[in-house]
Amino acid sequence: MSSPASDQYLPLTPAVFAILLALSDREKHGYAIMKEAAMPAGGQIKLGPGTLYGTLDRLMRDALVEETGLTDDRRRRYYRLTQFGSQVLAAETSRLSTALRTARARVTAEEVRA
Amino acid sequence: MSRPNAFLLGAYSALLKLIYPTHLYTCYRDQMLQTIRDADSDRTYNGFQFWSYLFADLIRSSLLEHTRMFRNRIFARPILIHTLALALILTVGGLFAALTIQAALRRSADQPQMQMADKYASALASGSRIQNTLPPLQVDIQHSLEPFAIFYDATGHAVEATGHLADSIPTPPLGVFVHMRTHAISKFTWQPRSGLRIAAVMRRVEGPQPGFILVGRSLKFTEVDEALLRRGTFVTWLLLMCLLAAGALYLDRAERLRRSPTPA
Repeated sequence: MSSPASDQYLPLTPAVFAILLALSDREKHGYAIMKEAAMPAGGQIKLGPGTLYGTLDRLMRDALVEETGLTDDRRRRYYRLTQFGSQVLAAETSRLSTALRTARARVTAEEVRA
Repeated sequence: MSRPNAFLLGAYSALLKLIYPTHLYTCYRDQMLQTIRDADSDRTYNGFQFWSYLFADLIRSSLLEHTRMFRNRIFARPILIHTLALALILTVGGLFAALTIQAALRRSADQPQMQMADKYASALASGSRIQNTLPPLQVDIQHSLEPFAIFYDATGHAVEATGHLADSIPTPPLGVFVHMRTHAISKFTWQPRSGLRIAAVMRRVEGPQPGFILVGRSLKFTEVDEALLRRGTFVTWLLLMCLLAAGALYLDRAERLRRSPTPA
């Protein structure tokens, strides 16, 4: 469900979308986010630690992501989506779906004409 | 972690400290290095490509984060931005106005010489003798502010003059005469001696006595006016900048006080 508050974050950058998507099923630490983002299902976005933690810092400041407080190592902290983060991810997914539907319809029409 | 990778991790850590924004470095250094260790132990990456990507990502993200921080700092204090923009407009506008006035001052210094050169050139062209055309004056070019005239023949030798510089008739550089072969009139600043600048107008003379008539006048007054203008412009600009800075600091402080929470 999109709201004016979540809409103001759209469109998301590929890095932000990949991070939110990676955290959408469960909490993860940095490397797990990086790994999932690089997979086809995660958007095939290459994230280095510099980009990842800079982006995570902003996402936490904007209350889209939070630290769980759980850790299996002092140096390995876990992150999860907040409710607001889930709303933003849903709004972006909806926006992309609409654009994708239009693109599919047009590409199919082009193929039929050809 | 193998020895080469430990070395690369050390280099990454050093570069991280050097270029990554301090607050991010403090918060995430350990996690970033742990992420790299995790990735390295995963063995799913090609070593060279992996490390080059890590370093490139660190440099790129550091640049982006610093740019973002700078932009946020600037936009957080709009009064300072507006003041800087106003200062720039005033500086450029003031400079343009001062240059325009200076150019007008210099142009006005040529006015009497233009009229005199026209008058002498047409008199000589109509057959009047040079001795009868120029007034019987002896202007000391070094010290006087009076206009003076010098007639040069077609080869550039001085024939008659109403002004002298140390008992001799000065001659402008050869380039001026070369220029006059293709131009009827030329206006230039002439420095016959160090510290003495002349607003000179030279006109080509046709007719029975072909040659060139030069009318000049010391630029001493104009230079004094120009110096006054420069000083006045600088002082005004400095005062304006001080006023702007004081106003901006006052407003910025008031704005920060307004935003800060008031105690209950």
